[in-house]
Amino acid sequence: MSKNIITTPRYGKSFKDKLYLPAIYEGCKVTFKHFFTNLNDSNAVDTLEYPEEQPRDITERYRGLHRLTHRSDDTIACVACFMCATACPADCIFIEATEREDGKDEKMPKKFSIDTLECIFCGYCVEACPCDAIRMDTGIFSLTGVKREDFVLDKERLLSHKGAFGEEKSCARN
Amino acid sequence: MSMASIIVAIIAFVLGALLALLTIPVLVWLERRTAGLVQDRLGPNRTNIFGFRLGGVIQSFADVVKLLIKEEYYPSHIKMGKWLFMLAPIITFSAALLAFMVIPFADTLVIDGEALRMQPIPVEFGVFWYLAIGAVGVIGVIFGGWLSHNKYSLLGAMRAASMVVSYELPLGLAIISFIITYNSVDFNAMVEFQSDTFFIFLPAWGILIQPLASVILIVALFAETNRNPFTVAEGESEIVAGFMTEYSAMKFAMYFMGEYVAMNTASAVIITMVFGGYQLPYVSTQMLLENFNYFAYTLMIVVPVFVWWMIRFMRRNNRVRPSVSTDSGRAYETKVISIFLVAMAVIVDVILLYLALSPNALATQIAVTLLQIMVFVIKLMAFNMFFILIRWTLPRFRYDQVQTLGWYYLLPLSLFNLFITAIVVVGVNS
Ligand code: SF4
Ligand code: SF4
Repeated sequence: MSKNIITTPRYGKSFKDKLYLPAIYEGCKVTFKHFFTNLNDSNAVDTLEYPEEQPRDITERYRGLHRLTHRSDDTIACVACFMCATACPADCIFIEATEREDGKDEKMPKKFSIDTLECIFCGYCVEACPCDAIRMDTGIFSLTGVKREDFVLDKERLLSHKGAFGEEKSCARN
Repeated sequence: MSMASIIVAIIAFVLGALLALLTIPVLVWLERRTAGLVQDRLGPNRTNIFGFRLGGVIQSFADVVKLLIKEEYYPSHIKMGKWLFMLAPIITFSAALLAFMVIPFADTLVIDGEALRMQPIPVEFGVFWYLAIGAVGVIGVIFGGWLSHNKYSLLGAMRAASMVVSYELPLGLAIISFIITYNSVDFNAMVEFQSDTFFIFLPAWGILIQPLASVILIVALFAETNRNPFTVAEGESEIVAGFMTEYSAMKFAMYFMGEYVAMNTASAVIITMVFGGYQLPYVSTQMLLENFNYFAYTLMIVVPVFVWWMIRFMRRNNRVRPSVSTDSGRAYETKVISIFLVAMAVIVDVILLYLALSPNALATQIAVTLLQIMVFVIKLMAFNMFFILIRWTLPRFRYDQVQTLGWYYLLPLSLFNLFITAIVVVGVNS
């Protein structure tokens, strides 16, 4: 046998292991310890008292709510190519294209909405976009509303979301 | 039937119903908070009514309201037997509830020479009632699983049914050992037996007289209540939600509450048979009645100490961290509850002092009964707590492990124990 092979001992064969009750006792000791320490001083429990305390450790890779990016001259970066809508496995991106007047490109979206109630936050839309026009780097991790309509993000709302980690403009096209 | 007996019967019944039903929200809350604290988080603690959170119990009541007004949904494939589909959770729930109703909360109250049992259903064959009714609960599970017309549900129901069958045998045999030892099928007589001592100094509790049968009883009752580590009727990893996959809103809540009532019932049976029921160790009812003033003085010290400890605990824990600015009325709540507790302590002390100084047979008896009810409730809650902590300690057993434990270990052990018990009892008596 090579010395790289480690044989881990099998447990559960001894009488004590088979009896199981000592194991239950050991387990209970652990749970009781946690329970009583925390009960004694519940403010020392290391949790976040959301929503009063907000998380401070959202990483740049966090997949938050979507946004539509701008070009360096603040026009919309999206060219309404429908790639994201095609890639979306939840079929929750709705785009209506229109002709672009500003001479930058041929098309732009007239309407662009994402139904976040159906969205599974897979990030495929971000992957599919050829113009870096849609991103999920807003750092927004909670979306609340009182009606179903509140969860359908329209173009204006998507454009108004700011990137949370510095990079504000689309870097693909100008 | 005298006036007193009717009043006592009604009070006992109402008390039993309250103990069974009111403990549901409390147990749900207890479970969630305990789970939280065991796992180093907090559990529900926000919901309040005018700032009163009571540590989060209000959350359970809010949940009840939510479940009541939730949309009732029936799977469209359930055409026949819809009423049975609806009835199934009710069967489970009421079986657990009815089984609880034969547990004595206090010793027999003697008023004017008339013995009044402090049992919601005053019967003398409590153990048989429990065995007969307790196992009916699984019929609700089987109906639910079968009528859901769903493979997961059916599997869950079958697993529950076969497990109950396997554990009913060791349970029954363990209980028979207890019946032989206590020489009675009456829960109350069992508790009276346990207020004795044996070996000079040990309290004659079932756990000490019949350790093996006690362990078997506890394990079998864990299985009967369908709680961890024996939750084979459900199982997210293999059969989705088990027999309750198709249940929603209040129908689901019935199963859910049924589990807690069953747990409460199992705790009550265990403490009654094994942990001395409503008795304090070494203290029989007769002794309590005769030396009531000493107990009154002791209580007069214990109650304020407890209240003092409680208030200190609240002031330490019922506040938010400095980093959180809003207090949401916690300081106010602590103050009001503290005042309430102090007032209660004063009232209790005054009543006890009065009773101790001017003995009155009837009043003493009622006070003793109340004391025993209190002991019962404390023990019941302590054992429920044990149930809960076990749930957050042990993982779910695999299904074949459950069956192996039942048939290969518990059944022979309980038979062996019955054999030994019979020999010892016959030997002692002859
Ligand atoms: S994250 Fe996934 S599901 Fe959501 S919109 Fe993008 S592609 Fe669709
Ligand atoms: S967001 Fe990107 S992928 Fe989607 S339509 Fe616009 S340019 Fe195309």
